[in-house]
Amino acid sequence: MALFVAGLSHRNAPVELREQLAVDEDKLRELLGDIAAAGVVREAIILSTCNRVEVYAVADVPGEARATTFRQLCRHRGVEPASVEAVLYTYAEGDAVRHAFRVASSLDSMVIGEPQILGQVKDAFALAQSCEAVGPALHSLFTQAFAVAKKVRTETEIARHAVSVSFAAVELAKKIFGGLEGKAVLLVGAGKMSELAARHLVEQGVFPVYVTNRTWARAQEMARALSGTAVPFDELSTALAAVDIVITSTAAPEPVIRREMVQRVMHGRRGRALFFIDIAVPRDVEGAVDSLDGVYCYDIDDLKQVVDANIRERVREAHRAEALIDREVAKFLAKQGDVEVIPTIVSLRERLEAIRTGEVKRTLARLPGATPETREAIEALSTAIVNKILHAPITKLRESSRAGSPRSWLELVHELFGLGRR
Amino acid sequence: MHQTLLTVAIIGYVAATGLALAYLVQREELLHRLAALATLTAWVLHTVALLTLAIDLGRPPLASMPEAVSVSVWVVVLLEMWIERRYGLSVLGAFVLPVALVFSLQSTPTRSLIGPTLSGAWLWVHIGLALVGIAALVLNFAGAVMYLLQEHQLRTKRPGTFYYSLPALATLDRLTYRTLAFGFPFLTTGLILGVLWAGTAWGSVFTFDPLALSSYVAWAVYAATLAGRAAGGWHGRRAAYFALVGFAVLMLTLGAGLFLPGKHGG
Repeated sequence: MALFVAGLSHRNAPVELREQLAVDEDKLRELLGDIAAAGVVREAIILSTCNRVEVYAVADVPGEARATTFRQLCRHRGVEPASVEAVLYTYAEGDAVRHAFRVASSLDSMVIGEPQILGQVKDAFALAQSCEAVGPALHSLFTQAFAVAKKVRTETEIARHAVSVSFAAVELAKKIFGGLEGKAVLLVGAGKMSELAARHLVEQGVFPVYVTNRTWARAQEMARALSGTAVPFDELSTALAAVDIVITSTAAPEPVIRREMVQRVMHGRRGRALFFIDIAVPRDVEGAVDSLDGVYCYDIDDLKQVVDANIRERVREAHRAEALIDREVAKFLAKQGDVEVIPTIVSLRERLEAIRTGEVKRTLARLPGATPETREAIEALSTAIVNKILHAPITKLRESSRAGSPRSWLELVHELFGLGRR
Repeated sequence: MHQTLLTVAIIGYVAATGLALAYLVQREELLHRLAALATLTAWVLHTVALLTLAIDLGRPPLASMPEAVSVSVWVVVLLEMWIERRYGLSVLGAFVLPVALVFSLQSTPTRSLIGPTLSGAWLWVHIGLALVGIAALVLNFAGAVMYLLQEHQLRTKRPGTFYYSLPALATLDRLTYRTLAFGFPFLTTGLILGVLWAGTAWGSVFTFDPLALSSYVAWAVYAATLAGRAAGGWHGRRAAYFALVGFAVLMLTLGAGLFLPGKHGG
């Protein structure tokens, strides 16, 4: 009986092929049913997202199981098996465990640390469970994978830094202002991206929101969408004095925010910082504004630069996450191994404990005048002897199971201690 | 006894400094925990060393420049640990401990600060208050350095280690302001007592004593910064530059006390 995972992902398979193979929920149920009917796998989970199609399974003959499973999949999707076979990867046992942990933790994702994959893995698990395709092996593998994914997320900064322009802007605002509660934002011009950035800011507690636009109706419309206040365009500099963050995205060919204007505004702010997020091309904020004291101005290229740095940061954190996963895989495999020897350890312990209590009882019956101290000493003595005797065989059993060869040791222990047939 | 303890404490500070700097670069939580542990251990040893010294001497260990510096390091580390927890500012150690370490290396007892004729409760209060003030201003300096580094990162728009490891500008600005507001009254009271003392003991307030003169300049710089902050709405970069200047003068003051002949020294 062996655990394996086989599949293809964004790493090696072209998007055309992934599209063709991606399976929706109903089809997945059907497919899991067909695979079960073929009788080659004991347990199976199919993970199908736009970036990967993978089968996690436990089978007696993994090679055959893999071939059958993908033949079924190709037949369902009408894909030529040869084209799939060429890009298919397979991991077995420990490597399969590692792969499951890496996928769930978003280390194998196209954007490292993206949060969706964990939900997708959970969905795949739930679906397979509802089809009764999940047995004890995959159950313990996946529940552990979810725990590892959570650990990776909290113990490394793999998902911490923004990898989209609008979130990067929010992150920058936090690096300038600290908390964003009660900071005011002004939107100059309307656009999908500035609206998105504004929404992210509002989620962080930014309030109030002002909107201005050359077209008054457009300003009002956007203000309504963001529960903000519309401001006439010619009151731009008054509005600048009242806010902390400015998002500009007009279609104007010339900068609408000039250095002199900002300089005047800054005089009245007593050093309060002003942060411009300029996502317009051509830019809305004059380049020279940037050099003013207390003014920070990021245009779209600057924001992209921050995103790039954040991605490098995630890759750096991913190395730490890999080390964490190595440890978790080792722990998981050790525990799995122990599972096999635990019943024997338990019955061995019970057997010796039964002998001990029997003998202690008999001895104490022959010592009616024994003081409580004597009784205690006899109990302690016998327990110590049992534990000393148990130590070596238990250690040996655990070691052998971690080394992957517990069978002969299990037999031996059963024979030697008369534990009966396994 | 106290000398051995002090040496071990300084070794502890060296280790803590190394770990704190490593944490700043690596951002590995384990390094931070080790640094915090090393800091606390060294500080406890330092405390015991100072207490033993005080018991041996039968007076506060404040009568020589090295003694006084050692006590100020003790206060600096105490403040560092407190602010680090209070503000969740885990990188603070990397900026404060190196300064504390440079101080400690200067604190090997060599010369006596005050002659046996000059003693009395007011003198201890003068020295003690000035030291607490100086310790707070070390934190003020660290805050200003962190502010300028983070501000530089945000201006160059190329996020690097400091962008990720340092907190927000507003937090750092608040830290520099609060440490100044806390330290300045101590420094002021300490100086006034010193001036009054000088008036009675030396006969004149303006005798040529390098430490005293330099400390007036430092006080003036900090007074200007505080006034600018409170009245002129100074913020951020300008306040941070002033903190650096003030600290430089403060270092000259201590240097004068340690190395130049004068009424505070030999």
